[in-house]
Parts: sequence; C-alpha cells; structure tokens
Amino acid sequence: MNINERKKELVKEFSPILEKTSKTSKLWFGFLIAIILVGLYAFVTQFIKGHIVTGMRDNVVWGVYIINFIFFVGVSYSGAFISGILHFFKTPLKNAVSRIIEIITVLSIVIGPIFILLCIGRLDRLHYLFVYPRIQSPITWDIIAIITDLIGCFIYLYLTFIPDFAILRDSNNLDLPEWRKKLYKFLAMNYQDTPSQRERLHKITRTMSTMVIAMAIVAYTVLAWIFSLTLQPGWNSTIFAPYFIIAGLYSGVGVIIVAMFLIRKYFKLEKYIVKEHFTWAGLILLVIALFAYFTFSDYFAKWFSHKTNDSQLLNTLFTRYFWQFIFANYIGVIIPLVILFVKKFRTINNITIAGFVAFISLWLNRYLIVVPTLETPYLPIQDTRPEYIHYTATWVEWALSLTGIAAFFLFFLLLIKFIPIIPISGIIDDERKEELQTNTTNN
Amino acid sequence: MKSNLFKYSFITSIIIAFLFSNTGVAQENEFNSKQYKMLFKFKTVKQGDNSRLLEVDFSARNKKDRKDVLPIYDAEIKFYNISKDDEVLLGSVKTSKEGIAQFIAPETQKYITDADGNINLTARFEGTDELDEEEDEIIVKDLHLELNLAEIDSVKTISVKAFTIDSLGVEIPVEEADINFYIQGMLSKMKIEEGSISDGEYEFEYTSDIPGDKDSNLTFLAVIEDNDDFGNVTQKQTINWGTAHTISHESSNTLWSEAAPIWMYVVLTIMLLGVWANYIYTVINLFKIKKEGGDDEEELEEVELGLEIDK
Repeated sequence: MNINERKKELVKEFSPILEKTSKTSKLWFGFLIAIILVGLYAFVTQFIKGHIVTGMRDNVVWGVYIINFIFFVGVSYSGAFISGILHFFKTPLKNAVSRIIEIITVLSIVIGPIFILLCIGRLDRLHYLFVYPRIQSPITWDIIAIITDLIGCFIYLYLTFIPDFAILRDSNNLDLPEWRKKLYKFLAMNYQDTPSQRERLHKITRTMSTMVIAMAIVAYTVLAWIFSLTLQPGWNSTIFAPYFIIAGLYSGVGVIIVAMFLIRKYFKLEKYIVKEHFTWAGLILLVIALFAYFTFSDYFAKWFSHKTNDSQLLNTLFTRYFWQFIFANYIGVIIPLVILFVKKFRTINNITIAGFVAFISLWLNRYLIVVPTLETPYLPIQDTRPEYIHYTATWVEWALSLTGIAAFFLFFLLLIKFIPIIPISGIIDDERKEELQTNTTNN
Repeated sequence: MKSNLFKYSFITSIIIAFLFSNTGVAQENEFNSKQYKMLFKFKTVKQGDNSRLLEVDFSARNKKDRKDVLPIYDAEIKFYNISKDDEVLLGSVKTSKEGIAQFIAPETQKYITDADGNINLTARFEGTDELDEEEDEIIVKDLHLELNLAEIDSVKTISVKAFTIDSLGVEIPVEEADINFYIQGMLSKMKIEEGSISDGEYEFEYTSDIPGDKDSNLTFLAVIEDNDDFGNVTQKQTINWGTAHTISHESSNTLWSEAAPIWMYVVLTIMLLGVWANYIYTVINLFKIKKEGGDDEEELEEVELGLEIDK
C-alpha cells in the first residue's frame, strides 16, 4: 500500500466538507447564529436589568442555568470517559466515532461553565474567587477541577488532531485559503509520521487518555459535592457523587448516540458509522441504566427514614412535579431498557430514540434535583411573595439555554469544517496494521 | 408468644369481670380464682423532694404454673396511716394494666407516729365477690437524708447526713445504715459507691471522669434500700462535674477557620502536581516531536540538495 497515495484518496473523500459550505450548511449556520443573537439580546437584558428578569429569587437561587451547567459538564465528562477508554484499549471501532466524541467532550466543557457565569448575580465580583480563594470551599475545588479538566481536554483533543493536521498540511490538492494552510502547518508541529514521532505521539496520547478519565471523574465528583456537602434536604446524600458520575455517563452516551445519528445522516457517513457503533453504544447505555438503581436507593432511603424535610420534598416531587418525576425516573429508563434489551428492537433509529429519551430524561432529572429541593428548604418559607416560592424559568433563561445548544452545534460544524470528522490518520493506521498482519501471515 | 399474649389479655379481662361484675357472667367462664394465689406487695420510698411514694404491686400467680403471673387491673387500693387509735386515709388509687398502684404523699403530709417515732403505713384492697380482701403494712421511721456535693481543696467530695427528728424537734443521727451512691443515666442508674453510715454521716471522694449530659451535668443519687427501720429513702443532687465540655471543645470545625486543615493542602497539592506534571510532560514531548520533524525536514532538504549537486 502506498501510504501517501492512500492519504491523498482519503483527503479527496473528505475534501467537500473541508473546502466548501453547502447551501444547507449555510442555512444551518444562519439559523444557529440567529438563535445566538436572540441569546445575546437576552444576555444584555439580564446584564442591564439584573436577575429580576430570570425566574430565580431569594429561595430558588438556582434554575435552568445550573441545570444546563451540570448537563453539559456531564456530557463532557462522559465523552472524556468513553473517548479515554476507546484510546486506551485501542478499540477496533474507535476510528469512526472517536473524533465526534472528542469534539463533544471539549465543546461541552467550554459551554457548560458559561452557564455558571450567567447564574452569578454579581459578575463584577467574579475575580474575588481567584483573589480570595478558600481551599475549604467546594466552589474553589470546582473552579480548580474544571479549569484543569478544560486544559487537559484541550491538550488531549489537540494530540488526536496532530496527525490529521500534518496530512492536511501536506495535501497540495486541497483548495483552501492560504491562512488555513499556514495554520495547519503551525498546528502540525513538524509531524512527519516517522516511526519515532508516531510512537511518541501514541505514548503521550495514551497517558493523556487515562488522565482525562481521572480528571473527568474528579471534576464531576466535585460538582456533586457542591450539592451533597450542604445540609439541604434532598442533596445531603453520601450516594450523590457516584450517582452523578453514572447519571452523567447515561446522558452523555445518549447525546453521543444522537450526535452519531445526525452526523451520519447529515454528512452521509454510512460507510464509516455503521450499525455496530450504535449497537455497542446502545449496550453501554443499557448497562449504565444502572443509574436507576442509584435513584431508587437515594429516594427509598429518604422515604423510609421519613425525616420531615425529606417527606416534604418527596411530597412535592409526587404532587407538583409528578409527571416530570415519572418521565425522568421511569419513562427515561424503561423506554431505553425495552429498546436495548430486546435484540430485534435494536435498529439504528430505535437506538437513537433510546439515546434521545435518555438525555432528555436526565436533563429533567437534574431539574428535579435542583428546583424542587430549593423550594423545600429547612427553614420554612414565610412572609414572602408567592412568585418567590416557586420557580418558573423566563424567556431570558430559555433563550440563553437555547443559545448554549446553538453555540454547541455551531462550534461543532465549524470544527468539522476545519478537521475531518473521521480521523484520516486513524484509517491509515488501521490499514497499515492490517497490511502488516497480512504480510506476517503470508511469510 | 402470640398465644401467651392472647392468654394474658383474655384472663386479665376475666379478672376485671370478677372485680366488677355482680352478675353470673364471670361464673360462666372457665377461670377459677381458687387456682391463683394473690400477691400483694407494698413498698414505700421517701424521695429526693421529701415526698413519699407508696406503691402496691398486685398480681395473681397460678398455683400450678408459677410462671403464670397475672396483674390485677383496676383494683382500688387505699393507703392508710394507722395508729393504735386512729386510721387516716392518705389516698386511694386504682391499679394500672401492670397491676401497679402508686400514690405520692406530698412533703407536707403529716403522719401519726407511735412513741418511738414509727409510722405505720398500710395498703388495703377491700375485695370483691370473687377476690378476697388484701392488706399489707410497713412500719418505718421518717428518715431525713441530706446529700452534699462540694469541691473541697480541689477534691470533689460527696457526703451524706442521715438523721431522724424526735417529738421535740431534735435531730438524732442514724447510728448505722447501709447506703449506696449512684449516677443517674438516661435509662438506669450506675452504682459508684457502697458504704455504711456511721454516726449519721458518710463521705467519699468522687474521682470518675464521666461526661454527663450535653451541659456536663451529673445527677448523683444517695439511696438507702430496704432498711428495716427506714424502708427506702432516696436523695438526689445535680452538679456540673461532667467532662463533656472538654470533648466538645476539642472538636471545633476547622473548615470554618481562616486556614484549611493541612491534609487538605497536601491532598490538593499532590493531585494538582500529578496532573500538571503530566501536562508539562506532554507539552515537552510535543516539542520533541516538533524538533524531530524539523531535523527530518533538514535531512530531506540536504539529501535533495546533494542529489542536485551530483547531477
């Protein structure tokens, strides 16, 4: 096999995505930018008028912003975890999906913390967190963990991009602007795909893959501790950190499945992203549905001990939030379980539905962890206005939430216009290995 | 167990029927009071506040099966203070479901005594058609017990003074009586000293380091039990001799102090150093990759240049 020729072939195959922007893509870009502009208007409104334009008040001080934050960080953690495992164990199917997962990981950890900034009432005092940090505070741990995780994810993503940057740098037949060629040259860091360079790159990528798994677990544990280290009924639970980890993995795998489906359809990658990818992802989702056991265990202990405040919380969940509770904790688990457990149901479309239901239910699950809990505090709410007791998100919050999602899609589309969605270097590596194996067998 | 419970409640209800029924309902049942021996136990305790507890434990025990003991419920017990010529009713109480009748004579209660200062206390059940009359008496002297807790020269000292008062109001020290000292717990009391009063006094040093309640308070009890002359006499005092405060002082919340606990700095430093050292290692390797690539490029250029010169 002539490697250089094969590289050229693959570059040519992916060149339409890299070189041109189709009409549909332009429309998508326009739509996403429009949502982001609405979000910007909402942000300016919130910045000028303050948090009074949101549904957050004295009692319910956290709303959909923090839920989005937990959700995105959970997706990132989940992506890091799966991507790390794919790299570490050199999984045969990894090539087609690893880049999608890596991009999801990094974009989620970039967008998630922005929601925290939206949640802070006095952004002008943000720097106090760095100027006067208290090591005792879980908020400080969270800041340290998220920044470290973010940098780690960037390094890891960059390492996996380098061989493809080198291929794009060396591809003279690509019709790209000069600045992009220069950028590829700069980012490729003189990578020539020599055996020693390849070995060195593999070694550090492997180390970083374990590091991002560990970092993701630490960051998400710290995030769970922000809740569980308080005395708030509903949050003060020893099971919260592992529960967050496994629930985050569940929603993350759901997002990955949906992303695989959309990318496969949109970029016509049926040749690379095959049914086997969906089946494996679905089976992982099936195993991680174990999170329902954690949910049951947590709520059952609350119900059985029958402490006054826990009982109040359960009463709120089973009355005012009844349908949300049923969807988040029953339907969100049962539908994926049925689809994934029965072999004949495991089609690509069905598995995608299972993934979609999983991540929607998990978003709702986080809503139920945050909002009803804040509505049933230890100290009884009295002498206050009714709208202060219950939380309802306003258009500003929904607009900014949608902006987060739109930004996620926009950056995703921009990134895959910059780098092939399926790693060319990975395909080459696999083919090289196959050839080596064939030669060894023939000899 | 279930059958015993059933039996218990069944027969108790029959005994109630015996007590209050003048009809022939009781006779229709199989219960035969002749099979049971009546137990009528009377005791008196002079309490810490100088009131006097009069208590009767009224039950019936099966003559054949001695384990079959049944409390007599709702039986009216009358308590008397009796002298040679007079009989003063102190009060009457009905027995509880456990067969216990308790009456507390207040501190101000005046008792008739004989020439030696003895008080005759009698408990009486006047009987019904089915149950015979029961009566028991106790003769005690009115003992005054003073419990003193004091720190003398930094020594925690517990002392008691026991005396009777004669008709002229003169204190007469108790010559000899056994006495026990306890510390009151949540469910029971713990014995800390056994001794004997001599010439009306007894004293010992308290050396234990019991924590006490949340405010480090300890309640001490001095108890004379089943004495032939005085019956049961109890006196109690509470004092702040516990050691609980030292424990709560030690466990202050270091998370609320200005500086975090040292272990937190150590753990955080190790974790951050571990992760960031790996990042630095990765970046160093990246530069090595860049350098290797640069060298290869130079070599390639040199080779190409050499070929051109050869031509």
